[in-house]
Amino acid sequence: MIEARRSRRRLTVAVLAVLAILATFSVRLIDIQVVRAETYSAAVDSNFYTATLWGTRGSIVDANGTVLATSVDRFNITAAPVNVKMEGFTRRVEVDGVRQTVRVSVMDALQEISDAVGGADVQAMYAALTDDPTSPFAYLVRGVKLDEFQRVLDLHIPWVYTQVQPARSYPNGAIAGNLVGLMGTDGPLSGTEYRWNDCLASENGTVGYAMSRDGVRMPGSEVVEQPAVDGGTVHLTIDADLQWFAQQSLAEQGTAIGAEWATAFVVDVKTGKIRVAADWPTVDPNDLDSAAPEDAGARSFTAPYEPGSVIKTATVASLIDAGKLDARTRFTVHAGYTIPGTKYTITDSFWHGDLAYTTAGILVNSSNIGIAQMTELMPLDERTAYLTRFGFGSETSGADFLAEDTGFVRDPADSDAVTSVTQQFGQGMTATSAQVASLYQTIANHGVRIPLTLVEGCEMPDGSYSYVADPQQTRVVSRDAADSTMLMLEGMTTQHPYASQLAIPGYRIAAKSGTAQVASGGGYGSDRIVSMAGAFPVDDPQYVVVVTFAKPVTMKSSSAAIPTFNAIMKQVIKTYRVTPSTVPAPENPLTW
Amino acid sequence: MSATAALRVPVPAGDGGTPPRHLEIVPTRAQRRARPRLYAALVAVGGIMLILLAQLMMSIVLAEGAYRIADLQTDKRDLGRETRAAQESLSQLGSTQSLTANAALLGMVSSGNPMFLDVASGAALGNASATDASPVGSAGNLVGNALVDGTTTVRGEGVTGDMQQTAVLTGGGSPADLMLTPVTAPGSVAADGGAHGRIPSPTMR
Repeated sequence: MIEARRSRRRLTVAVLAVLAILATFSVRLIDIQVVRAETYSAAVDSNFYTATLWGTRGSIVDANGTVLATSVDRFNITAAPVNVKMEGFTRRVEVDGVRQTVRVSVMDALQEISDAVGGADVQAMYAALTDDPTSPFAYLVRGVKLDEFQRVLDLHIPWVYTQVQPARSYPNGAIAGNLVGLMGTDGPLSGTEYRWNDCLASENGTVGYAMSRDGVRMPGSEVVEQPAVDGGTVHLTIDADLQWFAQQSLAEQGTAIGAEWATAFVVDVKTGKIRVAADWPTVDPNDLDSAAPEDAGARSFTAPYEPGSVIKTATVASLIDAGKLDARTRFTVHAGYTIPGTKYTITDSFWHGDLAYTTAGILVNSSNIGIAQMTELMPLDERTAYLTRFGFGSETSGADFLAEDTGFVRDPADSDAVTSVTQQFGQGMTATSAQVASLYQTIANHGVRIPLTLVEGCEMPDGSYSYVADPQQTRVVSRDAADSTMLMLEGMTTQHPYASQLAIPGYRIAAKSGTAQVASGGGYGSDRIVSMAGAFPVDDPQYVVVVTFAKPVTMKSSSAAIPTFNAIMKQVIKTYRVTPSTVPAPENPLTW
Repeated sequence: MSATAALRVPVPAGDGGTPPRHLEIVPTRAQRRARPRLYAALVAVGGIMLILLAQLMMSIVLAEGAYRIADLQTDKRDLGRETRAAQESLSQLGSTQSLTANAALLGMVSSGNPMFLDVASGAALGNASATDASPVGSAGNLVGNALVDGTTTVRGEGVTGDMQQTAVLTGGGSPADLMLTPVTAPGSVAADGGAHGRIPSPTMR
């Protein structure tokens, strides 16, 4: 009996003990979870930090993968003024094997930072530190490179902190700077950077982590709340080396003839891919001050002008397509052409009496009068419709460049007698250099227009493509019309006075000159926009080259564009190893 | 409780005279065996201690591993930064502006005209002489690059003025040599002083 009682007692004690422990735990739990919850969560929060995970903005590369724009790591050197002790801090250093303690004053520390980053304004940094001594944060130096950043860290200054600050770098400088565009501190400003921001942009993520009292990240406490998403890569169709060559030759010739600006295009005839779209002057995106604001974009796409005689190619191809004439149609080109119903007389760049020109002769000798006579063969609305189909006035070149212009062709209903004639030789209508290049692509591609491509695609970080260019081709003029126009244009490099400057031995080249008058103050002044446009080899056209100089001072004829046109063609031959022509040029009589 | 209290009431001393004998029920063998033994208690306590110790060791190892992971992640981040910094300076060195500056420093000039190799005769056709080189670029690079300063050009590095001269005159065993030797090759047209090569080109009317 006693034994049974004793065991019952033991059981009671055990149960009581368990209950007591349970009660204690419950009280403690309620105390922590309810009563002191706020205090504890505040304490935890103060140890829990959130940091930015930086996503990398995508690169812009050329057709060969040469990087034109990329993201780089930059670091901001910051400070906590509240932690700065004006009397300085002590640093343990080893001098000749003896460990010593040295005192480093604030000014000394700032000087050390300045030396480490290769020169920074010590006074400005001192002002930032002392401006608000209670502030926990102040910038000292922004955007330093990794090695400079490392040197600052090695100084072990107690109140100096750092920040990551991704930045944009353009390793090839002004090469294709017109196309790449600019980045401001708050985002893209222009060009491809802006137009293709959806592809390039990255998303920053956040990571949370606990920090111990002594400022060490608690291992294993990191929680990625939002992963960073890297941006995609924009692949341009440009060849950076060729682009450099074009920009360099534009700069050399543009300076020599005192031009205001210049553009150059190289287009792959069979794909419509733009290999060169050069502007001079060109901005270096690394240095926003490297060009005047009006020169910082791409005039080649955004600045329409009256292109002049290079448009005659479109007029002649249209008339052949409509069956109104052929290459040998005979014209008697008079000394002038008075537009019916007006007193306005069209003249040529050189004085002449009656000339017995064929269609080829009119085109090669670039006779305005001859083209004006041809306009009588086709009504205005049909002629305008052809210009529209070549892409003028209604649509862009297809390159989809930011703010690309469509140019302007007067609606036949609103047109006037003068414009209805002059638009056929590129006055009274406007086009961008890109549109002119597109015209010659169409002619060289046997009459089939392929909208120009500047951006080949957008490659996502995982290697897939979210966008691939897929231009839809349209036939503008018949194969015969386009090909016979090409053969006529070949006369420029074989029979024209400029032929010797234009020719490249072994290659058959079609070319057209343009010397357009520039409208100013309601009339035409002495300024000219001179250009050479062409394609080669004529027996198997592969590349279009267009060179334009605006408002040259020392040479106001299209011959100013010839050396550059010729040099770029030679460079294209070398770059793409274009094989020489194999078929001789056929007869191409200019007169009868 | 009253029953317990009653039991504990001592037996009056003067009742009987002899002290009561202490009686104890001896547990049976089976009962004795059923009782917990000391060594079992030791095993239990020892086991708990062992488990606690193992847990401690494990958490030490885990914590160490976590620190190691954190260290390695930091290393990875730093190495990534170094890689990108190296990539950055490589692309600056590889930029056209830097290359043209270095090439000019080494005495190189760009060739203007296309050259052809006639596989039938082995002769090089065209004119690649340096003096007739493309005018483009000869006046120095005009396409700016704020990233390319003096630090990206090779200086010294065994390139002396004499060597530059040699490089210009002989090609110095560089690929340029190949381009320049056809000057003396039979059937070459480069020797005739700047005239365009006798490329078997189609008739130009």
